[in-house]
Amino acid sequence: MSEATCVEMLKSGLRLEDELVIDIHAHMGPWYNFHIPGDGSPESMIANMDLMGIDMTVASPHIAIGPDIEEGNRQVAEAAQTYPDRILPYITINPRYPLATIEAEIARYHDELGGIPGFKFHSSCHGVDCSHVGYGPVYDYANEHGLPILSHVWDGPDQDGKTFLTRQAAAFPNISFLHAHSGNAWESIRKLIRETKLNPNVYLDIAGSGRPYGGLEYMVQEAGADRVVLGTDLPFIDVRCQFGRLLAARISDDDKRKIMGLNAKRIFNL
Amino acid sequence: MSSETHSGAQFRVMDCNCRIGTFEKVEPPYFTDLTGLLAEMDYLGIQQALVMHSWASSWAPRCGNDLIDELLAGHDNLYPCYVGLPGATDELPPPAEFAAHVREQHGAVRLFPVNHQWDFTQWGAGDLLEALDARAVPVLIDMQQTNWNQIAEVLARYQQLPVIVLGTSYRITRHIYPLFAKHANLYLESNTFQITWGIEDVCERFGADRLIFGTGLPENEGGGALAQITYNGLTDADTALIAGDNLRSLLGI
Repeated sequence: MSEATCVEMLKSGLRLEDELVIDIHAHMGPWYNFHIPGDGSPESMIANMDLMGIDMTVASPHIAIGPDIEEGNRQVAEAAQTYPDRILPYITINPRYPLATIEAEIARYHDELGGIPGFKFHSSCHGVDCSHVGYGPVYDYANEHGLPILSHVWDGPDQDGKTFLTRQAAAFPNISFLHAHSGNAWESIRKLIRETKLNPNVYLDIAGSGRPYGGLEYMVQEAGADRVVLGTDLPFIDVRCQFGRLLAARISDDDKRKIMGLNAKRIFNL
Repeated sequence: MSSETHSGAQFRVMDCNCRIGTFEKVEPPYFTDLTGLLAEMDYLGIQQALVMHSWASSWAPRCGNDLIDELLAGHDNLYPCYVGLPGATDELPPPAEFAAHVREQHGAVRLFPVNHQWDFTQWGAGDLLEALDARAVPVLIDMQQTNWNQIAEVLARYQQLPVIVLGTSYRITRHIYPLFAKHANLYLESNTFQITWGIEDVCERFGADRLIFGTGLPENEGGGALAQITYNGLTDADTALIAGDNLRSLLGI
């Protein structure tokens, strides 16, 4: 990093060109529910990333978390092939699809991409929970290959006083369980910090629209900087919102480096 | 969309959305007093702020308004954001007198029609809105306290009344763009307008004079809002408007 601290760079509008910056939570394309200037195209996303110096984003297209995972996975694979240094694909699974289709998607992208970088679940958009049988092949594949799964929520039935996430993270120790939007509100921050203490493979993503004062500092204090990752929700949400929050946080610049990229490099085997 | 930033550029940043005083959901990391607010502003490079007291929003508007006058005395970079009420219940000075005081202090008025149980309509608040309109006093209102139809009616009837909407989201462009096109007195706080390229898109369609920098301190952190100012694809002149010039102009400072 240059001699300027992160907060000085934020105040001066200096890009973080000398740092590894990876956004682990992005989407792509337009969305029915609201208008996105630039339509969420890969080019528009990359230009937005360039504002602050984000090197790479890990994306799951909106159509994949919405009506069509096959088209969404095709779109993100194409974007990743066009911009291999900037866009890394999540393969998105809707467990309502036939098991044969799910298995075929995994096999296809295992071959086409030379290995799948990670998976995306959006159980709330798909109207299921994360214990759905259709997710089974993903858990098995991701555990076998040591991959991350980013999920909007890790919902599922509690058992023996343990949450679904607690039990699942213990059952699949090679999967990195990325919990989306962990830093959005105090309620989720407190709840998910507890999960990080129960299993070493649970990570807290800060993507989203909420930025409670002091929340990120509390996550680092309680869970440790090794367990927090930068996500932005691009192109729903502009990268400046969460990356600016990270740069301004009252934590050390070394901790910021972990959150902005070093943790993701490790989690995604980059 | 340009990816140019304002490397090294410094703007006179003024925050339209700050609060002091304890509040219901207070958490240990939050600051609640002026010392804390000034320290946070210094940390982020925010030079000026419009400040409301929590007692005015969450306890007794008259007491909170009086207290903010008292607390801000001697702080020439802080300006009062009072809480307004319609005149029917005589809880605040009469609307014309209230509006005159706000203008004299280069302040603004924040409204909480939902929390304070009154109607943000002509029949419910016409006296207050008429008085504020007569002096072009800026009004701030959170979208959780109103709806787009109410905003549209107020903008149409009170065309000298600057209305700054707060607490929006990344999902509002289909609502607010038709209103921006029709009403020159509509303004949008930048902080919660988080849609990708939203700042640039509003400036391109409607001009940079429609956006106002705000943070929501101390409930929200301010770094994200600041990044919208220091990293953007706008000209320095447009960025200066959003960072503070628009608000200073509305407040008459």
